[in-house]
Amino acid sequence: METDTCLQTAAELLAPWAQETIEPEPGRVDVVVAPGDLVAAAHALMDARWGYLTAITGLDPGEEDGRLEALYHFACGAAIVTLRVRVPRAQPAVPSLIGVIPSVSFYERELMEMFGIVVEGTPNTDRLFLPEDWPDGVYPLRKDFRMEQLGG
Amino acid sequence: MTLKLDQSWQAALDKLKTWARLNSPWAIHFNSGSCNGCDIEILATLTPRYDVERLGIKLQGSPRHADVLICTGPVTRQARDRLVRIYEQMPEPKFVIAVGSCALSGGAFRGCYNILGGIDQVIPVDVYVPGCPPRPEAIIDGVVKLLAKLRGDNPSDTPVVFDPDSAGEAAILAGEDPVEDLAHAQREEEAIA
Amino acid sequence: MASEKFVIPIGPQHPALKEPGHFEFNVDGEIVTDASVRLGYVHRGIEKGAETRNFVQAEYLVERICGICSHVHATAFCLGVERLAGVEAPPRAQAIRQIVAELERIHSHLLWVGVAAHEAGFDTLFMYTWRDRETVMNLLEGITGNRVNYSANVLGGVKCDIGSEQAEAIQIGLNFLEERTRHYLDVVSSDAMFLRRTRGIGVMTREDAERMGVVGPTARASGVPRDVRIDAPYLLYAEHPVELVIEEAGDLEARFKVRVRELFESYRVIRELLTALPEGELTTRIPRRIKPAETISRVEAPRGELFYFIKSNGTDSAERVKVRTPTLPNMASVLVLSVGHQLADVPMILAGIDPCFSCNDRMAVVKRNGDEQVWTWEQLRQYGIEYYR
Repeated sequence: METDTCLQTAAELLAPWAQETIEPEPGRVDVVVAPGDLVAAAHALMDARWGYLTAITGLDPGEEDGRLEALYHFACGAAIVTLRVRVPRAQPAVPSLIGVIPSVSFYERELMEMFGIVVEGTPNTDRLFLPEDWPDGVYPLRKDFRMEQLGG
Repeated sequence: MTLKLDQSWQAALDKLKTWARLNSPWAIHFNSGSCNGCDIEILATLTPRYDVERLGIKLQGSPRHADVLICTGPVTRQARDRLVRIYEQMPEPKFVIAVGSCALSGGAFRGCYNILGGIDQVIPVDVYVPGCPPRPEAIIDGVVKLLAKLRGDNPSDTPVVFDPDSAGEAAILAGEDPVEDLAHAQREEEAIA
Repeated sequence: MASEKFVIPIGPQHPALKEPGHFEFNVDGEIVTDASVRLGYVHRGIEKGAETRNFVQAEYLVERICGICSHVHATAFCLGVERLAGVEAPPRAQAIRQIVAELERIHSHLLWVGVAAHEAGFDTLFMYTWRDRETVMNLLEGITGNRVNYSANVLGGVKCDIGSEQAEAIQIGLNFLEERTRHYLDVVSSDAMFLRRTRGIGVMTREDAERMGVVGPTARASGVPRDVRIDAPYLLYAEHPVELVIEEAGDLEARFKVRVRELFESYRVIRELLTALPEGELTTRIPRRIKPAETISRVEAPRGELFYFIKSNGTDSAERVKVRTPTLPNMASVLVLSVGHQLADVPMILAGIDPCFSCNDRMAVVKRNGDEQVWTWEQLRQYGIEYYR
């Protein structure tokens, strides 16, 4: 399927939950959805066999911004559709996609340990990359992370 | 297949081979979180082309029987305890070769949050082999220098650093033609088979 | 082929140490009932490191994420940053990047065939493929000056050229390798002992592979037509494409065959590029500071799709560099699927996805009827070999 057609199909599938739609570069569409709609949106793409979840990126826009962001990138050929979910920094939480994609656990564990975004319902909350003795509440990819937080 | 080596390098190797047969050190390898580049080159020293075992150093699996610990990597936080425990399990006298820029100082990762910054942040190091990664010739040269130290040739406690003008480079400059050598070795093998 | 008692120093070797398992398998009799893993061993903090380095320095960092596929990381990063900057590397540079990328794929696949053979107890095959790899490393050294971490890329192009002498050496090398590869294809397709450990083992259905986001040769071995070089061509893959190499069986045998058959495509594309090497510059200018934007850069690493998300912020440093390596989705999927398989098959199943080989020597915790044992990978591997004797 042509990339543009792919993107159009995805936009149509996601229409019920799309709060905002952005075209950041050719071949890509970003769709902002509410955390509560994430699972339904992902189901829409996966059930239509639109593509596959290729990565989840966490973003911290900076300490002045009251939010954190999680980006769910779905790929189909050359087309990439990204579901963007914004959550409050004070209590960041998103639902797990484990019911949609059985192999999503690694990505969710990484998001949790690096950004402190709680992924509700994810089956395994062990650290994936960080050591067991890494201090709780210290999220290395947040902008306010400092080496001093690691202690000795 | 033999390396075509210049005279001084060959002489050093012959001397060492004699000694090594009388004193064959056993080495153990440990990766403390490297990208595997150095490990690939260490592995290459075992393959027929470089064949480090002809020097008498044998790579095996247990720290309890090892004389030499060959380490790569910048020491990630997870690796630290393991590294210490392996070192502690080795009987005296024991020696450590740090291979690669990461093992020396953290290398390109210096300052990254999950690394300690080099093997000598955790255990004492006897030989440092710089490079990212060092060539197998450089690693072998590090082993040769360590073996010389084991024999008592280098009594000082200061670490021995690979000298780029030394015999290792001579081997490279001796002018092998690896593609032809390999093709030749292959034809020879098939003739025998 | 008899298995010799041969120790390969891949990753840490320490049978004496007990510690929290990186792999954890729950078993009922011989059957795996649950599998999980912790991957922190080589975690260095590179994504964060990239934020405090400028783009030029960050390239040196990402080159060292993996010693086996250094070039493909640098390529993904450079292509992404160039796109953010609105520049394109000149055609000659793209061609050289592609040649080095395919040489890297050859080196990686040969390495894997050897390591996977070792996992099954075939150490002679390991020695042969690793010796043959030396040919590729020489060619890469001839072009870039390095056997490993070739560092061919700069932002805006490449720093090394391919002259007629090197081109000729490459042709000779490829002829040699192609002959050897025909032999390997023969072994992986018809050696009875080999097939006993690979045919019908670790089957992944096409539907599972599609849904779980499996990538690379592992996906193609299950009939999934996924290859970034074909789906979203970059460098000169549109003008000089590779053919899709695909198998349907989805078992270990299929994974061997896909990788070995792909080598022939790599040989062909490199030859094609050498005869049609564009004239011109090796680099183009790229601004030091990059205006704020986000880009995604995907390339086909030897193990599968490599994914970069790069965000610029108007300075000479990235705001965010996110790297998703192909091993991650493949390992996740394989662990989900190992449930229901024999424990003895696990080393081969994991080897089948071609993980970074520092993962192959982890400690494994095996839980059986409430009894918990810690095994080294070496022990697990030996268990598999003995089981099939």
